[in-house]
Amino acid sequence: MAATATRATTDEPGERGILSAFDRRRSGVRMGLGVVHVVLFTGLVVAGLGPVLWLAKAAVTPTQDTLSEPFALFPNGLDLANLTAAWVEVEVGRYFLNTLLVAAGCWAVSLLVAATGGYLLSVLRPRYTRLIDGAILATLFIPAVVLLVPLYLTVVRPAIGPSLLNNYLAVWLPAAANAFNVLLVKRFFDNLPREVFEAARTDGAGPFRLFWSIVLPMSRPILAVVSVFAIVASLKDYLWPSLVLPAAEIQPLGVRLPAIASQTELDVFLAALAIATLVPIVLFLLFQRVFLRSAGLGGAVKG
Amino acid sequence: MTALHEATAPAAVPAERRPSASGARRAPERGPVAGVRRWVRGGGLSTLAFAIPLLIVFGIFSWSPIVQAMVMSFQKTNLITSQFVGFDNFAHVLADPLLGRAVLNTLYFAVLALVLGFPLPILLAVLMSEVRRGRGLYSALAYLPVVIPPVVAVLLWKFFFSASETGVFNTVLGWVGIPAQPWIQSAASAMPSLVLEATWAAAGGSIIIYLAALLGVPGELYDAAEVDGATIWRKIWHVTLPQLRGVIFIMLILQIIATAQIFLEPFLFTGGGPNNATVTVLLLIYRYAFQNSLGGDYGEATALSLMLAIVLAGLSFLYFKATERWSS
Amino acid sequence: MLAVTATFVALAGCTAGGGDGKLELRVATFPPGADAAAYEAFAAQEAQFEKLHPDIDVIGVEYEWTGPTFAAQLAGGSLPDVFTVPFTDAKTLLANGQLADVTEQMNALGYTDEFNPIILDAVTGDDGHVYGFPRQAYAMGLHYNRALFEQAGLDPDSPPTTWDEVRADAKAIAEATGKAGYAEMSTSNTGGWQLTAATTARGGRIQEGEGGDYTSTIDNDGTRAALQFLHDLRWEDDSMGDDFLLDWGSINQEFAAGNIGMYTSGSDVYTALVRDFGLDPDVYGLTVMPMDGADAGVLGGGDIAVVSPTVDDATKDAATTWIDWYYMQKLLNQDAAVQDAKTLADSGQAVGTPVLPVLDQATYEKSREWIADYINVPLDQMQGFFDGIFDQTPVGEPKGHTQEVYALLDPIVQAVLTDQNADIDALLAQADVDAQALLDGN
Repeated sequence: MAATATRATTDEPGERGILSAFDRRRSGVRMGLGVVHVVLFTGLVVAGLGPVLWLAKAAVTPTQDTLSEPFALFPNGLDLANLTAAWVEVEVGRYFLNTLLVAAGCWAVSLLVAATGGYLLSVLRPRYTRLIDGAILATLFIPAVVLLVPLYLTVVRPAIGPSLLNNYLAVWLPAAANAFNVLLVKRFFDNLPREVFEAARTDGAGPFRLFWSIVLPMSRPILAVVSVFAIVASLKDYLWPSLVLPAAEIQPLGVRLPAIASQTELDVFLAALAIATLVPIVLFLLFQRVFLRSAGLGGAVKG
Repeated sequence: MTALHEATAPAAVPAERRPSASGARRAPERGPVAGVRRWVRGGGLSTLAFAIPLLIVFGIFSWSPIVQAMVMSFQKTNLITSQFVGFDNFAHVLADPLLGRAVLNTLYFAVLALVLGFPLPILLAVLMSEVRRGRGLYSALAYLPVVIPPVVAVLLWKFFFSASETGVFNTVLGWVGIPAQPWIQSAASAMPSLVLEATWAAAGGSIIIYLAALLGVPGELYDAAEVDGATIWRKIWHVTLPQLRGVIFIMLILQIIATAQIFLEPFLFTGGGPNNATVTVLLLIYRYAFQNSLGGDYGEATALSLMLAIVLAGLSFLYFKATERWSS
Repeated sequence: MLAVTATFVALAGCTAGGGDGKLELRVATFPPGADAAAYEAFAAQEAQFEKLHPDIDVIGVEYEWTGPTFAAQLAGGSLPDVFTVPFTDAKTLLANGQLADVTEQMNALGYTDEFNPIILDAVTGDDGHVYGFPRQAYAMGLHYNRALFEQAGLDPDSPPTTWDEVRADAKAIAEATGKAGYAEMSTSNTGGWQLTAATTARGGRIQEGEGGDYTSTIDNDGTRAALQFLHDLRWEDDSMGDDFLLDWGSINQEFAAGNIGMYTSGSDVYTALVRDFGLDPDVYGLTVMPMDGADAGVLGGGDIAVVSPTVDDATKDAATTWIDWYYMQKLLNQDAAVQDAKTLADSGQAVGTPVLPVLDQATYEKSREWIADYINVPLDQMQGFFDGIFDQTPVGEPKGHTQEVYALLDPIVQAVLTDQNADIDALLAQADVDAQALLDGN
C-alpha cells in the first residue's frame, strides 16, 4: 500500500493509466492533455497557492489598502511594521511556542501510547489482549462529539489530583487516546517477521530489549506516519484546546487568534495569520513526501 | 478527537501463543505470593509496563467518558451535585424549537458538501493521474490548503467573504461583471459560503487519497478494455470508476460522518447566524454545554450528543463493513 | 517523559502559594488585547497597593467575563480571586452559590448604606446578604464618529436627538462616505441586549414581573418600532454597511477603525475603545439615546466586583481590601480618587469616562470635581450625554433568564438586517412564545 501511495506523489511514469501509449500519440488527446495541464496548473495555483500569496501580501500592506483595493500591489508602499507589531503586540511568538509545546506533547504521548500499545497487543499478547483490542476497536464507533462534555468534566474534576484545566496534559493525554493510531501500529507490528523476535528471545533479549532494539528500528515508516497524524491533528484542533486552556498565556496560536480578532487592527491581524501559516507550510515543504504519503496511506488503509 | 475520520479495520491477527504462557507449564506453586512470583517470572511485570500507557490514557480519556456520557444524559448536573432525571434531558432537547432547525441545517450542509465537494476531488484526481509531468507539483499545490491550520483558514476566509463592494471575493466577482454578494451576511447564502470554504479546506486530502487509489488500478484492465475497442470515456466509465467504487463509498461515508459534526465553520464564521441559518447540531450541543450563560446544561448536551452518536455509529458501522469488504 | 513531568510541575506551580510568606491574590485585570500602557498603569497601582499592604502579593490575571466558561473555570479553579460580573448575571450567580458572601467585609468598610439602593439590590441575595461591590454603572448612549459627521456635512456638535434625525444622519453619512451610517450589534446575545435598549427607548419593555414571576412582553410596539427602524435603515436607506453579524468587540473595532457613523452601547465604552481598540479620541462623540413615547427610559447596567467563592477567609479579606482600594475608594475619597486618576492619566489611560453613580448622586458629583484636573477624555465631545442623561428615566435590564432571552432575540435582529422580507410581527410573536416557555421552565 505504501508503494502505491508513494508513487502518487512522484513524477515517474509508473504503470499505465487510463490513456494508453497509443492514446497519448493522438493529437486530440495531446491537445486535451495540454488543456488539462493549463486547467490544473491555473486552478491549483489560484485555489491552493492564491490565498497563501494573498495573505503574504496583506501581511505587509496597510489596512486601508487591503480594505479598499484588496488586489492592488502595495499602492501606498509596504508596511513591514505589521509583522513586528504582530510579533510584539500580539505576541505571536509566545503563542507560537505554545503551539509547538502542544504539538510536541501530543506527538510524544501519542507515539508512546501507540508504540507500547501496539507492541502489547501485537507482540506481548497477554491474556486480556482480546478484551483491550475490542475495547479500543469499539471507541472507533463512538464519535468524538460524545466525549466532548464528559471528557471536559473529567478534565475539570479528575477523579484524582487537581483540575487539569489550563494544563497541557489536558490536551496531550486525550489526543493520545486515539484508537486509529494504536491499531495502525499494531497492524504494522503484526506484519513484522516473527522469526526475528524468536531469534532475539533465544539470544536472551527481554521484552524491553526486543521493543527498543528490534521492533522500533524496524518500524520507522509507521512511526513517521503516526507522528504526522498526531502533529497535524494537534495543529488542527480548535474546540478542545479552547475549552481546556482558557488562560490566555498558555493558549496555542490557533485558539488565541479568534479571541483577539476583534481587538487587533486588521493589518496586524492578517500579519499574525500569515505568521501562523508560515510554519505548517515550511514543515510541509520540508517533509512533503511524508505528508503526502501519510495522506495517501490514510486512503490506502481506508481503501 | 478525530479518531473516527481516520478509522480503519485492523486485519485479523493470526492467533498466537502468549509468550508469557510458558511460565504456566512449570510445576504449579501455591499461594498468592507464589502466584505473583510466577506472574512476575512469566514477564507479567514488563507486560504490565507496556500496558500502562494505553490503559491509563484510554481508561481515563476514552472509556470512562463514554460510560459517563451514558450516565450523564439521564442526570442534571451543575458540577457540584447531580440528580437523576430520567428521560427529561432527551425530552427537553427534542422539544427545543432550534433542534429541527439545527438538524435541517446540518443535513443541508452535508448535502451541499456532497454536491459541491464530493465529485470535484475525484475529477481532479483522475486528471492528475493522467498527466505525467508535474504530478508532484500538482499534488503539493492541491494539498496546500489542508496544511493551513483550519482556524487560520476560517479567519482568512471570513475576511474574503466581506460583503462590501471591495471585499476580496466581491472584487473578483466584479471583474467578471457579477454584482457584490452578501456571502455570510444573508441567511440564504451563508451556508453555501461555509460549504465553499470547507470544500476548499478538505479537497486536497481527498485528491491525494483518490490519486493513490487511481494509480493502484491494474494496467491490464485498461489493456483488456482496449482490446474490446473501448474509447477513453468508456474506459473511465467501465474500468476506472468501478475500480474506485470502494474508495468512493468509504470517502462518502467518511465525509457524511465529518459533515454531521461540523462545528468550526459555523462557530467562527457566523456564530449560527444570520437568523439561525447556520446553527448545526454540534453548535447546539456546544451552546447547551458551554454557551448557556452561567454554567451549562451538561445533561442536555450529552443527551443530544448521544442521539447524534447513534446515527453516526450506524454510519461508522457501515463504513467498517465496507472497509472490511474492500480491503479483503 | 521527564519533560512532561517538568511542565506539569511548572504549570501546577502557578497556583501554589508564594515562597516568601506573602498572601498571593489573583485579581482580574483587562480583557485580551489590552495595550501595554494599560498594564503599565496596572503595575503602578499594584505597587502602590503592595506598599500599603506588604503582606499581599497582587497578581494581575487577564480576564473577560464570559458566561459560557464561567462555571467550569470556577470549578477548575482558574478564575482570579477577584473579578467582575455584569449586574444582569449577579442574581443567578449568587443564587447558585457561585459568589462569596462579602456582607461582613462591606459592613466593616462602612459604606453599605451609601450605595444607591436599587443598585445594591442587584447584589443582595434572598437571605439579605451582600455578594459583591457594585463598582460602576452605565447608561446606554449613542456613540458617533465626529469625523464622519463632518464629511457628511453634519454638525458634530449637534448630534441627533430623535430617531428620525438618527436615520437622516445615518443616510447622509452612508451617502457621503460609503461607510455604515448606523450599526447594530446582533451576535453573542448583544443583539438582544441592544434590541432591549432600543425597545425601552421607545417606551416598550420586553419583560414584566418581579421576584421569579415573569411575563414575556417581547411582542410590544416599542420592539416593533425598534425593528422597523432597523429595517428602514437597512433596506430603504441602505445606511448600515455590510456587516450584520457584529458583537460588542467587533462593533467597537469597526467604530474605532472609522467605519461606523453611529451605534448604541454602554456609556463607559470609551475606555475600552481607546485602550483595547485604538480609537482616536478626537473623532469620538457621545450623546444620549433619543427617547420616544410616554414610558421611554434608558437601559442601564453595570458591573460588580466579586470574590470567588472558593477562596479561604484570609484571601477573602485580602480580596475585599483590594476591591475597596482599587475600585471603591476612588469613588469615596478625594486622595484615592486623585491618586487613581493621576496614575491612569500618566499611563495615557482614560480618566473621566461617563458612568452613572453607584453611590448617591452627590458623592458622584463630588468625585468628578476631585479628579477634574486629570480628566483626559474629551468632555466637550460628550456634552450631549452629560446634558441629557439625568433627565432620562433609568430602566434595569430584564431579570428573568436575561441572557437566554437576549439569545432568543439575536436571530430576530439578524433576520431584519439580512432578510428584506422578514416578517417582524411573526418573528416577535414566535419569540414571545419561546421566551415565555423559557420563563415558565423554572
